[in-house]
Amino acid sequence: MTSPIRYDAIVIGGGHNGLVHAAYLARAGKKVLVLERRPRVGGAAVTEEVFPGFKFSMFSYVVSLLRPEIIRDLSLPRHGLHILPLESTLTPMENGDYLAAWGDHDETRRELCRHSPRDAEAYDEYGRLMHHMAHAVKPILGMVPPDPTSLNPRDLFALLRLGRHFRGLGGERLHALVKLMTMSSADLLDEWFETDVLKATKAASGIIGTFLGPRSPGTAYVLLHHYMGELDGVFRAWGFAKGGTGSVSEAIAAAAREFGAEIRCDATVARVLVKGGRATGVALQNGDEISAPVVVSSLDPRRTFLQLLEGTALPEEFVADIRRFKFRGSSGKVNLALDALPNFTCMPGVGRHHRGAVSISPSLDYVERAYDDAKYGEFSRRPYMDIVFPSVIDPGMAPPGKHVMSIFVQYAPYHVNGGWTDAKRDAFGDAVIDTVEQFAPGFKSLILHRQVLTPADIERITGLSEGNIFAGELALHQLFFLRPAPGWAKFRTPVRGFYQCGSGTHPGGGIMGASGRLAALAVLGDGR
Amino acid sequence: MSGAGWDAVVIGAGVNGLVAAHYLARAGRRVLVVEQRQEASPALETGWIPPHIIRELGLASRGLRVAQPDPWIAAPLPAGGRLELWRDVGKSAEAIRRLSPADAARWPEFCLRMRRLAGVLEALYVQPPPDVESREVGELVRLARLGLHVRRLGKQAIIDLARILPMSVAELLDDWFANDTLKGLLGAAGVWHLKQGPYSGGTAFNFLHHHVGSPAGVFRPPRSNIAQVLTALPGVEIRRDAEATVVLGSDGRAAGVLLVQRHEQVEAPLVVSSADPRSTLWDVRGTLDPEFVHALSNVKCRGVVARGTLALDRPADFSTLCVAPSLEFLERAYDDAKYGRDSARPYVEAWAEDGRIDVHVQYVPFSDQKRTDEHRRALAASVGAALGAEPGRVTLHTPDDWERLYDLTEGHLYHGELTLDQILFMRPVPGWSRYRTPIDGLYLCGPGTHPGGGIAGAAGRNAAREILRKKRT
Repeated sequence: MTSPIRYDAIVIGGGHNGLVHAAYLARAGKKVLVLERRPRVGGAAVTEEVFPGFKFSMFSYVVSLLRPEIIRDLSLPRHGLHILPLESTLTPMENGDYLAAWGDHDETRRELCRHSPRDAEAYDEYGRLMHHMAHAVKPILGMVPPDPTSLNPRDLFALLRLGRHFRGLGGERLHALVKLMTMSSADLLDEWFETDVLKATKAASGIIGTFLGPRSPGTAYVLLHHYMGELDGVFRAWGFAKGGTGSVSEAIAAAAREFGAEIRCDATVARVLVKGGRATGVALQNGDEISAPVVVSSLDPRRTFLQLLEGTALPEEFVADIRRFKFRGSSGKVNLALDALPNFTCMPGVGRHHRGAVSISPSLDYVERAYDDAKYGEFSRRPYMDIVFPSVIDPGMAPPGKHVMSIFVQYAPYHVNGGWTDAKRDAFGDAVIDTVEQFAPGFKSLILHRQVLTPADIERITGLSEGNIFAGELALHQLFFLRPAPGWAKFRTPVRGFYQCGSGTHPGGGIMGASGRLAALAVLGDGR
Repeated sequence: MSGAGWDAVVIGAGVNGLVAAHYLARAGRRVLVVEQRQEASPALETGWIPPHIIRELGLASRGLRVAQPDPWIAAPLPAGGRLELWRDVGKSAEAIRRLSPADAARWPEFCLRMRRLAGVLEALYVQPPPDVESREVGELVRLARLGLHVRRLGKQAIIDLARILPMSVAELLDDWFANDTLKGLLGAAGVWHLKQGPYSGGTAFNFLHHHVGSPAGVFRPPRSNIAQVLTALPGVEIRRDAEATVVLGSDGRAAGVLLVQRHEQVEAPLVVSSADPRSTLWDVRGTLDPEFVHALSNVKCRGVVARGTLALDRPADFSTLCVAPSLEFLERAYDDAKYGRDSARPYVEAWAEDGRIDVHVQYVPFSDQKRTDEHRRALAASVGAALGAEPGRVTLHTPDDWERLYDLTEGHLYHGELTLDQILFMRPVPGWSRYRTPIDGLYLCGPGTHPGGGIAGAAGRNAAREILRKKRT
């Protein structure tokens, strides 16, 4: 069966990047069709009622990096986007003490002072430097990566401009940037602070989604992410979307529809149709074929090129590069329905700390040892965890008086020894819950339901290869003009008319939407 | 002759100190080298000697010998026997074929690609690091020339450079090979003198750093008697058993050195130190900008290498023997060091030359607590076990020994780890990469400066040329 409607472009995958991409194309007057495999849009940014009355941001659970120009261009607040701030972070320590960072700057300073007056002093300076660094990196997120191997004057000019931008930072900031890009978060933080639990908590944010430990070089620059969101004054460091992260996807989808895009769920694309080296449309799993002169994949690079284009002749070197692209999912998620909020030994009772994040990162060695387990193919027996209680900030997420608890867990390697089985998933869930229990005795008895998601589950449900939450590791050698493959970082592909717009392209990672937007600009540019 | 009359004092009679001294002497300076050790080490120097140095100092006619072992490495195989790799790429491929035909097929291409990248580093290493902040026309021209040099190597080399440098050596090797013995012996060169394991980012760069100066297919740096040759080379005076600290004049400039044990001051308007940056400057830190002192104290130089000798009662049946059976073995050895312990099963490499066997052991982390005899016995036992020798035949110096005996900061033989944040214009301290220090008349020329350890004399030559260029302008 062939579709009677003539589409200008088909977008494969209705995750947030696919939706942003579609919205921008539709906004430019294109007739766009989005095809989503699952019954709902969002990809890894979905809200689901996993247990009756209990709603979860199943996978991705916090928002910080969504580009302000996208929020503006697509009028997302009007379409229902509402970000609630997650202001505090509480780190329980093994000795019963804690470290807390509050929304109020002076209060955080006093708390730090309790641990180390020197660190309290350094904290402001560190924050200022990170703020400047975020400014220095920001323009890169919004640019199409130039190809340093090309002799095209446009590339050369862009490279030159980039060089000038960095030189313009001046010595001190340039050096700081080099350090951020190359060091381990532990080493970088050692230069600033002496309080172990402070370093551990900050370093932990540098390992999220990577298969690296806090002492591995390349983890420092992720520290920057915490300061990126703050820049634009749109919202604070981390936020929680009212209604869960699914409402971010829904808002983008609503904007796309308003611009005229059509979104079809339960529509699995089997492959991209290619004729004479040109994309002509897609074939669905049910046999339907839909044609369009432009086809855009928001899936990760492995599925985009090795699955959707299976059978299409691609340059050998390119295929080798895509095969080499690393995923190595390292994180899992445990979603719990609770009868009541847990009581942490270090801060008894229910309090404002439940409105923020609780970080299980009591020491650098603790987090590093969690990585050691994963390095040799086991899930962490005592994992790093980032915990939030969305129902405290957004009561609609759980029945009255009850709560939902979201636990992001690292490390859970995709390639676990012996492979993931039901028994291993249960053991993993038990390790997570036992560890929380140590910091909040009695917690276990509050659990009404539990959902444990391993990287294998994340892959099965969202399609993200190896369950990598960034659609490909955010390692230095997989960024910028190397993402996803050298020579193909400008959203185009070796097949004419076929584009990529997912997180596996520059700049990738997090609910940012930048890839989807930049890819749309590339498609529209080519169309002119 | 003492006291007055010296134009320059060089601290340290290692290769870099001597090279710097001889370059200054050749430019007409009267140079005194002061060295705290009583005797020159008989060990061979490991590292590439830039051909410029051999040529300009006329070392070839002075008896310089560069060892060319063939096979260049031997590694025990799990099933018995050894994997031996040869200077001839084809012959190595034959040896690899017995373990993995696929790996053998990739060997020649791997050797070629790595060689090309090492060539880029060589070009960078024989000159001061590029100054990315400078607005001087000359510097911009130099940067542009460097860019062109790389571009001329072609597309693949540019991509390799950008992709491989930040990688871990494990990722790099996994991209190419399957055999553990092969990856272990190659990966070992990626962790030399680093408190990192092969799974850590930046170790691929360290691997290439140690490939510099070797022909395609040889992944161990050359070993030579350059230290002995330079010591015998006339033109500078060397005073041994003379531990020195920098002396400042009332104007804050370097005024010479104080020979500590002899209570003797040697005056000179120029002091060039090949000692490590932190120990050179630590005593005068009170006169320096606190920001600079902070940066100096942040230099990562966490010693992890023990070195020593092995006494065998029979001639060695190898030239280089590497015990690092896999990348995971290396990583586990690192895990111990990460938590402050000696590796229970360390990576051990032994080099036999002229009846002497030198041993490199990793990881033996520096610790400011006193190393007990029990620790020493355990280490000797694990090293002996790796080499199939009696522990009593192993004599080792640990990083603690070096700090105690020679004031080497944290016992790091490279005077600073070669991680990506501590190379080029970031070495030794960001903004001070051109061998200068905040003290007028005091320069650095040791491995703590660009291009770092494992390169024989490049830092000394770059520093001397920089000093002489400054004096002219």
